[in-house]
Amino acid sequence: MLVDDHPQRAAMVEAALAECSCRVVSVLPSASGLLFQMEHQRPDVVMIDMESPDRDILESLSVLNRHHPTPVVMFAREQDPGFIRQAIDAGVSAYLAEGVDPVKVRTAIDVAIAQFERYHALRRDFEETRQELEQRKLVDRAKRLLMAHQQIDEAQAYAQMRKLAMNSNQTIAAVAAGVIALLDRGSGVPPG
Amino acid sequence: MTAADVPAAGLPTAEKTLLSLGFMRLADAAPLIVAQEFGFFARFGLEVELVREVSWANIRDKVTVGALDAGQMLAPMPLMTSLGVGGLRCALLTGLVLSLNGNAITLASGLYERLGESCDAREDPLAIARALARHVAASGERLTMATVYPFSTHTLQLRLWLAAGGADPDLGLRLVVLPPEQMVDSLARGIIDGFCVGEPWNSVAVQAGVGVITASGYEVWNNAPEKVLGVTAAWHQAHPGSHLRLRLALMEAAHWLADPDHRVAAVEFLALPRYLDLPAAQLLPALTGRHQYRRGGPLVENPDFLVFHRYQAGFPWRSGAECLLRYCLGLLGRSLPAGDIVTLADTCYRTDLYREAAAALGWTAPALDRKAEGEHAEPYELEPGVRLGPDLVVQGPAGKR
Repeated sequence: MLVDDHPQRAAMVEAALAECSCRVVSVLPSASGLLFQMEHQRPDVVMIDMESPDRDILESLSVLNRHHPTPVVMFAREQDPGFIRQAIDAGVSAYLAEGVDPVKVRTAIDVAIAQFERYHALRRDFEETRQELEQRKLVDRAKRLLMAHQQIDEAQAYAQMRKLAMNSNQTIAAVAAGVIALLDRGSGVPPG
Repeated sequence: MTAADVPAAGLPTAEKTLLSLGFMRLADAAPLIVAQEFGFFARFGLEVELVREVSWANIRDKVTVGALDAGQMLAPMPLMTSLGVGGLRCALLTGLVLSLNGNAITLASGLYERLGESCDAREDPLAIARALARHVAASGERLTMATVYPFSTHTLQLRLWLAAGGADPDLGLRLVVLPPEQMVDSLARGIIDGFCVGEPWNSVAVQAGVGVITASGYEVWNNAPEKVLGVTAAWHQAHPGSHLRLRLALMEAAHWLADPDHRVAAVEFLALPRYLDLPAAQLLPALTGRHQYRRGGPLVENPDFLVFHRYQAGFPWRSGAECLLRYCLGLLGRSLPAGDIVTLADTCYRTDLYREAAAALGWTAPALDRKAEGEHAEPYELEPGVRLGPDLVVQGPAGKR
């Protein structure tokens, strides 16, 4: 998808993209409902003029990640190649200077996709770490409940849960949640 | 010639005198425009080019890579960019808050009519929020509300207002981002049902008859830090003298703007094509604090609608930074250890830089870096000569934020 207020440049970019076998699903000027077009058309990559006010819309999509997140390539009017290099080094997006040649367009798209994937990998790592932590907390709490309920020590409680997990083909976190649901009624064990 | 005529005398030398500053088409760009038009930059030996930008992301990126020396930024921006949450990571800091408040929540006129609550009686700013929550629950209508950027006081104020009325901002409502200039048109075309945006865009909607203001940002969060002067930590380090002069000029401009008569005079300049490019009538409500909440309705007086200078507005409270950070991280479903939040607030909100500038002007500045937030319904004196404004934040029915 292409967001550009200059129809001539948009046409050039579209032609350049066709040469590197990319299909443009739509070309829009700014302020024509980008958010809703994005939801409808689900483009793989969005190319946008840096001077388009619609940039903050795209940024919200990539940051909050509630919609379909999409890599973004930006056209920068800055002629300084340092600007583009620094911008790419600093963040998620790829910038493309004026003057559209097919090789550069293709490279920019590849950079944007790579940056995007790197960012989302970081984000996934963070999510996984958080989930791991929560699961550990869950298991700890279940252990303490079992220990209090059955008057057993920590190792025994853990062994029981492990066995249950293996027998029922569930994860240990799922078993822990089950144990908590069963035993956590006025048990007097403070929450972990 | 006296010292007052040459305020720059005795100040550290400016490492760079030709500076470019980014701003957005908003009423709270006034200190930058006034500093330019009334010669405050020049008085401190600076030649400034004001560059009108079209998106918050652009201002951040251009400041980050040095295409702009400094910019008007949303108050959470130095924090969130330093954290690298948008993907772009760069150490940004602020030594000066440019304004407090200045936003409002506007609903489409048709929706407002259906709610059957009047915004003219200003006894309770949450009456309409409650009516809206009831409407959403009863009708099952999925409303779309817009703000200008994910990490902004606008998003926080809209969510706080919705939640205070009893609506869950994540259920039965869709919150989207649109550029300020597209808000009124999108409202008129029924693409969105309401928005929270900085002025003048609420007044533009009211004057066009397409929207009704249902709450000011002030009513949701008294004296929230709104815009800041943002620079990169590297730029500050390389240009401490220029940065000081820039803050001094903008502090003098904000001080000048604290006078209601001056504000009316400033409107003529804000309206110019190179700045906001809008009729003066659309800018007057924000600058004078006198709004029509609906077309033809009575004038609502909000002396604190948009605060410059008053209540130590320029001071970058680290407690405020911490509030912003917690709210914004909450939007992402993230949290940080308390120690990290304190460190980030200390690094990005530079109270020491504000005090340096205040001392150069002979102004009193707070000695504390943090203050109680959400506890004062009336203006109060924190320290001798340090008078602060109310700082309440609306609470939901169950105190939910």
